[in-house]
Order: sequence, then C-alpha cells, then structure tokens
Amino acid sequence: MSLSPITIAPVFSWWLISLLFGMGLGSAMYVYWLIRGRLGRKKALAISFFRLLSIFLLISLALNPSLDVQKELKTSPILRILVDTSQSMGLPGQAGQGSRLDEARRLLLAGSKPLLKSFAERLEVRLYAFGESLGDISPEKLSSLQAAGGKGDLSEALAKLTGKNSLVVLISDGKVKWDGNSSTGLPIITIPVGDEERYKDILIKSVKAPAMAFRGREVTIDVTVKGYGYAGQTLPVVLKEGERLLTVRSVRLEGSPGEGTISLSFTPEEVGQYKLSVSIPLQFGESLASNNTVNLSLKVVRDKIRILMVSGTPSMNYRFMRMAFKNDPSIDLLSFVILRTPSNILNVPLQEQSLIPLPVETLFNKELKNFDLVVFDNFLHRLYFRPDYLESIREFVREGGGLATIGGPNFLGEGGYVGTAIEEILPVRWAGKDGYRQVSSLPVRLSRAGIAHPITRLSPDESDNFRLWREMPPLEGFNLLELKRTGTVLLEGSDGTSRPILTVGTYGKGRVLVLATDDSWKWNMGMVAKRKGNWAYLRFMEKVVRWLTRDPSLESVQIILPETAGAAGQETEFRIRVKESSSSKSRGAVSLSVLSPDGGKIGSRLKPTGQPGDYLGAFLPEKGGIYKVKVETGSRSFEESIPIVGSGEDLDGAPELEQLRKISSATGGKLLAGSDDLLTEISALAEKGQGRFLEERRLALWDNPYVLTLIVALLSAEWFFRRRWGLI
Amino acid sequence: MISRRHFLSLSLGLTAGALFSGLKFSYGGPLPQFFFAQIRYRGGDWDPNPQFVETIAEELELRTSINIHKDRRILNVSDPDLFFCPFVYLAGKYEFEPFSPQEREILRRFLGFGGFLFAEDTMGAKGFGFDRAFSREIREIFPHHELKRLPPDHSVYRSFYLLDSIGGRQKVNPYLEGITIDNWTPVIYSRNDLSGAWARDRFGKWVNECLPGGELQRALAFKTGINIIVYSLTSDYKKDLVHHPFIKRRQNL
Repeated sequence: MSLSPITIAPVFSWWLISLLFGMGLGSAMYVYWLIRGRLGRKKALAISFFRLLSIFLLISLALNPSLDVQKELKTSPILRILVDTSQSMGLPGQAGQGSRLDEARRLLLAGSKPLLKSFAERLEVRLYAFGESLGDISPEKLSSLQAAGGKGDLSEALAKLTGKNSLVVLISDGKVKWDGNSSTGLPIITIPVGDEERYKDILIKSVKAPAMAFRGREVTIDVTVKGYGYAGQTLPVVLKEGERLLTVRSVRLEGSPGEGTISLSFTPEEVGQYKLSVSIPLQFGESLASNNTVNLSLKVVRDKIRILMVSGTPSMNYRFMRMAFKNDPSIDLLSFVILRTPSNILNVPLQEQSLIPLPVETLFNKELKNFDLVVFDNFLHRLYFRPDYLESIREFVREGGGLATIGGPNFLGEGGYVGTAIEEILPVRWAGKDGYRQVSSLPVRLSRAGIAHPITRLSPDESDNFRLWREMPPLEGFNLLELKRTGTVLLEGSDGTSRPILTVGTYGKGRVLVLATDDSWKWNMGMVAKRKGNWAYLRFMEKVVRWLTRDPSLESVQIILPETAGAAGQETEFRIRVKESSSSKSRGAVSLSVLSPDGGKIGSRLKPTGQPGDYLGAFLPEKGGIYKVKVETGSRSFEESIPIVGSGEDLDGAPELEQLRKISSATGGKLLAGSDDLLTEISALAEKGQGRFLEERRLALWDNPYVLTLIVALLSAEWFFRRRWGLI
Repeated sequence: MISRRHFLSLSLGLTAGALFSGLKFSYGGPLPQFFFAQIRYRGGDWDPNPQFVETIAEELELRTSINIHKDRRILNVSDPDLFFCPFVYLAGKYEFEPFSPQEREILRRFLGFGGFLFAEDTMGAKGFGFDRAFSREIREIFPHHELKRLPPDHSVYRSFYLLDSIGGRQKVNPYLEGITIDNWTPVIYSRNDLSGAWARDRFGKWVNECLPGGELQRALAFKTGINIIVYSLTSDYKKDLVHHPFIKRRQNL
C-alpha cells in the first residue's frame, strides 16, 4: 500500500492493528469517563485527547510507515569506439594514403594531441576491434590491427553493448551487416573511411547457374558484372572449364557504378562434374583482383540413358528386353535386329522389304560416345564388323561406357569373339567347343556376391529375394563359360557345377555384364505363369541398365549436395546416404574427409541423423573455391565437389557511405566526416547523451527521533495537566 | 517317302538326343527358341491344315535369320508350357466349345504379359463357325478391347516385307485384325486361311489352290506369315525412327 510519498507496510495483520486502535480509543474514552466528574468536561476531554493521540501514534508505528524520497542524478556516457577490421578495410583509403584501416588509425592517433587521448581526458573511452566478432582492445594494440575476415554484424555487436549508457562511434567503410533494428537505443556516430568517389573496381556481382545440367543440352549461365570507375567500357567475360575456353562474351558498363548482365552458354558433351570459372581480365587501376573470378561446379548428368542394342536374330529375348527398356521412360533405345544374314535368299526386290543396312561405321566409329550402354544380344559380329569396331567398343568401355553381352548360340566362341578386343574386356572366357548347351532344366541361384549386389537384389528383404530367384523358371539354354579373375558371378547354375550365368566386371572406367543365356525372357513369362506378374523381370532389366550406366540411385553411397552454393565463412551441410546391406561387412564404417581448393584437408564433422544409413556431413569453408568431399565406406570411396563462393567482402569493396548514413540516422546518432572537428562534435553529443536517472530512497518513520519525541511530548503534556489539575 | 530335309532333321535330332539326354521337344524335351504351338480345343476342328508347318518353317529359314524348329507343339490352353511358347496358333473352321473361365483367365494372363496368339478362320465365314466362336472368346478375354482391323501403318505390315495387302488361300479380307494393347498387338487374326496357302503334302504339292489370285496370292500368304512371325519376335521394332526414312523411300519408289 502506498500513500505517496508515504508507504505503509504493516508488521501485524490489519485486523490486529484495527483491534489495537479500537482498544486505544476505548481506553481514552474510559479515562474521559473516570475524570469528567472531577475535572469537568473540557479538562477531561483535553487529557483524554493527549492520551488518545499518544496511543494512536504508538499503535501507528505497527503500520511501519516510511517516506519515499526521489533525487535526480546525471552521468556521462562511456564512449565506445568501434574500428572496423573486416577485409575491405585493407583496401586503399582516402587519397591512396594507406589502407582504410590506416586512415582510421590516423583519425584516432595522429597529431600532437591525438583524438583518442583527448577523448580519454573528457570521457571514459573503450576501444573495440569490430570484425566478424567484437573484441575490446587497448589503444596500444590499435596500430597492430589487421584487416581480415568477413563483414561484422553491427546488430550483434550492439546487443553486447546494450544496457550501458554508451555513445558508440563506428569508424568504417560501411561494409557492415546491419538489420536496421535500432531497439538497443544506443546512438551511433559513424565516421566513414575510404574514397567512394575515386574507388575503381570490376567485379562479378552474381552468377546464376543451374546446379545440374543434362549432357547434350545447352546450359545458360547468367552473369552480372558491376564496375566502379569504368563507365562506358566494354569488358570481356570468359567462361572456362579448367584451362579450356568454353565461350567469351562482352558486357558494357554504362555508368559508375554500372551494371551489365550477359548470358554465357555452352553444351556439355560428357557427363561428370565440371569445374567452371567465369572471369574478367584484370583492368588497370582495379582495387581488388579476387572478385574478377567466380568458380562454380556444374554436375552434368544424362537426360536419358541411351542404349545401343544389336540382336543377332529376332527372338523372344530381344522382344522382352525391348519391352523392358521401352517400359522405362528414362531409357532411349536404338536397336538393330539382324533380320536376314548374307546366306538367306532375297527373293523380292529391295522396295518390297523393310530391311535397312546396319550402319556399323556410323554407330561404332562415330556415334558410339553418344551412348551409355551397348548391348550385344546373341550377335554374330564376324559378318558385319571389322576388328576396329570391336576395338572402339573396348575404348568406349574403358572410358566409362557399359557393355552387356547376352548369350545364345552366337555368343563368344560361336560368335567369333575369341581373341578379339571384346573377349579382353569380358569378365568370362569361352570354355571351349560347343559352348552353347541346351538342357532340359538348369535352375539358377544367387551366388554369394549376388545376394547383396544391386542387380540381383530385386527385393529389399534378403530372404524374399532369395526365394524370388529360387522361384524363377529354370533355363534350357546357356553358354558354357569360365570365370576370369576380374569377374564376379551373381547368378550361377544350381545343378552342382556353379556355372556362371550372370557375371559382372569392370574394365577401365566402364562396367561389363555377361548374361550367359538366351532364356532370360522366361523369367518374365514363368513368373506370369505363377500368377506373380512380370515386375521381377522388369526390375531386373532396369537394374542391369542402371548398374552398367553407373546410375547414382544404385550406388551404395549417395552424397546429396545443398541446392545452393555455400558461402565462405558459413558452415556447409550435406547429406550422405549409405545403403547398408544386412550382410555387408563394412556396415557402419563411414568416414568423411573434406579437401580445400588447395588440396589440404580441413576439419569436417559427420553425424548420423537417426535414420538408418543417413548421415549429415558439414564443414566450415574459409574461402571460396571448389571443395572436395570424400566419403569412405570400407574399401570404397565416393567423391563429390561442392562450390563455395567467397565472402561478400570479396565481391564488392566499394565504400558504402549510404549504409553509414542509415545507421546513424536510425539510431539517433550522426554521420561525421574525418575532416570535422570530431572532438567538439562528439563531446557535444556525449553531453547531450548524459544519462539522467532518479535516485529513490525510502526513510522509515518509526525509527525517527521526532516521532519518539512527539510521543514523549504528548505523554508529558498529559502528565503535566494531570498534575496541574490535581489528579496526581 | 522321306525328304532329304526330314532325314537330316531326324538325324540331327537323334544325335542331339544322344548328346543331351534331357531333350524333350515334342516328346518332353527343352523348348527351342522359336516353334509353332497350336492350341487343341474342344469341339469344332482345331487342326484344319495339319501340313502347314514345314513349308512356312522352311521359308522362314531360307529368308530370315530366325532359327525355327520345324515340329509344332500341340497343347491345351491349360498346359503350363503355354507361357513358354513364343508363337501360339489357334485355327479352325467350325464353332468350338467355349473355353472354361479358368482357360480364359490363363489366356488373359498369357496375352496380357507378353504372349502372342495368331488365330485364323480357315473357312472365312464372317459371323459363323470358328469366327463366331473366336469373337465370343476374345470378347470374354478382353472385354475392354475390340478385335479391330490393323491400320496400314501397323508394324506387322512392315516387320520384314512391306505389305499393302495380305495373301491366303482365300481373299476374304485384304487386311489383318487384332487386339492392340498400348503398342503391342498380342492377338492377330486372319480370315484368309494363310495356313491353307502354306500347306504342302508329303510329295511337295500344294494342298489347296489359292483363289482368286493363284500363286501370287500364295506368295503373298508366305510374306504375310513371315511378317507375322517376325512381328511376334520384334514387336514394333520397325516403328523406331531409324527405319522411317528407309521405309518411306521404298514405299515411294
């Protein structure tokens, strides 16, 4: 309870105090009643009044009354000087005399009576280095400060200084982060350094490129160029892949500052990771060279898997494989079937036949590189091929292409492949004469490697998969083959001989598969006969194609990059998905390493997300460039490149006076020039900013001697009158 | 009297039989890559031209790269081997007994997942006899598809020969009919009695005269048969873009 300026805080409860007041009043009335007869009404009233007053005064002390006293006080603010130490402060300052940081130093330390010393005589001064973080420094350290790192965050810095009566002075080129929030209430005096008028630079302001492109389709990269001090000039913009020039276009800058946007286009011919750079040659007088080049990484993938298939004869195998390939919208199939051989008779004129020549020269010497996979289906090559075509295929595989060879009576030995370039790259060899056998039944089973291999893993559950392959109808025709050391058998005959039926291998950068039967179509119809549909056959064929063409969806490790390029100084995160087989020995052994653009290993972290086989990787890039992420699982490793753009400071080094003006205006501060009388101006602002506050004091009334004296006086007065009027 | 071709086939068959004890074709051996499988049904006449296989097989071997087994396999619809037959043949003159629901379901599954059926009405009487029974069965098996005339640009008319008409023992229709599902025609139907034109007796004489076109009509029947067989093994291969300029040029010659 407050009866301003007196505050009451009872020491007893209100009812007890009221009772005491009542009893006091009662006793006074009783005294009056006792003495009224002897002294008369007036004198009895006077004595009772003194008694009542003293009792009330005594009882009112139980209310614990206190007196609130306020007093206004004034304090001078602390002068907090923030010196910008970000990278751009290393650029030339006014009139080219040293850097912008040197200019800031001169402002504070130069002259017979340095400004910093003068401030210190009048005010309490604190000095801070303001870069990516805020740190207080001693005046002696000012001369050894270095310009480095990204833009400082002013809002973050002010939050650290808030709550104190301060006047903030920011000496900067304006390249600071500021969210426009002035809620801290700290006025900021900004003092610009650097020469906005005479600043000269060309920079690549932005590069808009897709993260992924398709082979054979034109890619367009939009580049915005900004220039200071180069009005009216036309500049070349160069797009390169490594050292290879892709395209050059010119851009004209109309003003200063002036901007121009152009589109650079090129058509990637091969799949893979392209390390691209967009650059402008260094111009005379430029302040900053590093912002003339932007590196980027472009992942080129195939839009469709292109398959070239040659079948030695019209067959059910051809038709069902064709059906499977055509069923997959991501496959572009070009197939040729040998409908007649030179030994067949030609009994009608050419115009009555639909047969076309097999364009071997075009396909196997010129266009082969445009395919991802070549399929030879029971194909007797001798009648159509020169040896150099087979050598082209070997080179095609060595360079990363896929080759599938499907068995039958015209395969390997019978097909004339022994001793050719094709035999060299296959993971199997001809077992000898009569290589093609027909039997009444040859069931197949998964080999040890086939249990976990993506081609034969048709069902995610291992036991389901095993059962599925056991249910597949047996083969009636197969090629007798021997395994080479380079091969891995996925399916084998379960007749006790473990004959290789499906074998895979690698050659150079490419992959090779041998299906030693022309009966695989029966896996389609056999399962249909068992009312199980044809999904298993279609999935098998799909996986054959995807494995041979190194489709990322079948890789045991996928590195999923962020959609947008990371920035220097900011943590870059990416996901890693590891397909773990229940039988994999390397389960759980996942490690991550990150290499910087210089090739040095940098710190990174890897943590599981909680989902099986799902990890989150992260690293902190210090500068722009292409970083290499390497994930290792057991004996295998996978790599991806991540482009990182340089910090914003790299891009545009022009002083930003307008930013400083905005900061001072929004915070109630002032923009001052280095040439102003800074001591007077800032001292005046400091005086205005003197902190005013009310000092509040509470004085307890009960321990006041005047109250005690008053009580004693009242009781004495009562005693005096009692004695005078003869009561004592 | 046994022909030289017959003798050689028999000798090779016996040799192979000695080498591969499991050989069972026609007698329970492995199924070759291509052969005729003919359906035996109840009622009617399931085998109107029993001597057609050898001649068309010989022509196929002479003219194409297809390896064909010259014996035909005769089976019922419910035979489990049906699903491993590349070319199922159904022919007749007269009305036959309806297939059981189970047989219809087997045919629906077989034809719906990649099987192929060539059917022909050897009498050629629209709405009567075999035609009536076959149309009834097709309606039951494919209630949502209709037996339709195959358009002139269908792959079956260009799978080997470029055809603008079809042959046969008789000339009821100059075209083939069929059931087409997506881009594949699993059922092709003729009313011209192609097998009647192919049939030759053991002395090498044609069993039937081709009317009204004579030997030209017969030659066209062989071309039609070869095209149907090649189509059954290559599907719409001839619709691939790479063939277009060649076919167009030849059609314009």
